[in-house]
Amino acid sequence: MDDFEQLLKNALGRKEQPPAFEAKVFAAVADFKTRRRIFWRWASEIVAVMLLAGGFWMRYERETQDRAAGEAAKARLQLALKVTVTELSKIQKTVRTSTEEE
Amino acid sequence: MVFSLAFHFLRDTGAAEEVAQDVFLRLYREMDGLESDKHVTLWLRKVTSHRCIDYLRKRRSQFTISLEDTNEPSAVEQRGDPLLNRRLRQLIAALPAKPRIVMVLRYQEDLTPEEISEVLEMPVRTVKSHLQRSLAMLREKIERSMGDIR
Repeated sequence: MDDFEQLLKNALGRKEQPPAFEAKVFAAVADFKTRRRIFWRWASEIVAVMLLAGGFWMRYERETQDRAAGEAAKARLQLALKVTVTELSKIQKTVRTSTEEE
Repeated sequence: MVFSLAFHFLRDTGAAEEVAQDVFLRLYREMDGLESDKHVTLWLRKVTSHRCIDYLRKRRSQFTISLEDTNEPSAVEQRGDPLLNRRLRQLIAALPAKPRIVMVLRYQEDLTPEEISEVLEMPVRTVKSHLQRSLAMLREKIERSMGDIR
């Protein structure tokens, strides 16, 4: 290191931090901790609300599907009964006709 | 070290405090990933250097005041001729960001070009080139303004 470099070293000597700096850093860390705590509390509450809403939605969906399936089954049963009634009427008609002929 | 690095790079106590505070906050957040004192020192130098360059870039886009025009902050610990020291600091502050941080790391932190290369993640050849060019430029300017000091 030559003289000029030594001059540079002198010019760039360590500068001590201001007296209040340490307190400011601790305050910033404390503030960060508080903000992080608030963030996590909000985040957990939002997740809980979303889970609850998801649960309700799934339940509603299942009920809607069950109701639709019930309606479809009822419609099928009604159709089957109608077909049966029609067939029975035909059979009854046939039996009545053959009895009258005898 | 952190405040001093930022201070010599930015030549502004308020800005240096802001950068240093930000660096310590990041240190607190990333403490778990740091294994040893040596690792912490390297990390601090690295993050401070990059944060200083970013800060300067952002500030330049907001203000166009030349660093040469800014006032010399008071209470700088110094040895030797105060006028010469002040002039040298002004000249270093007028360097572009990369050569400036290289000079500060070299002459404040006393790092070798290899160590600077590790901190700034740049090739050793580039570090040496920045040092040589900055030294030549500073020598020339100081000689022109104050006479031959070698």
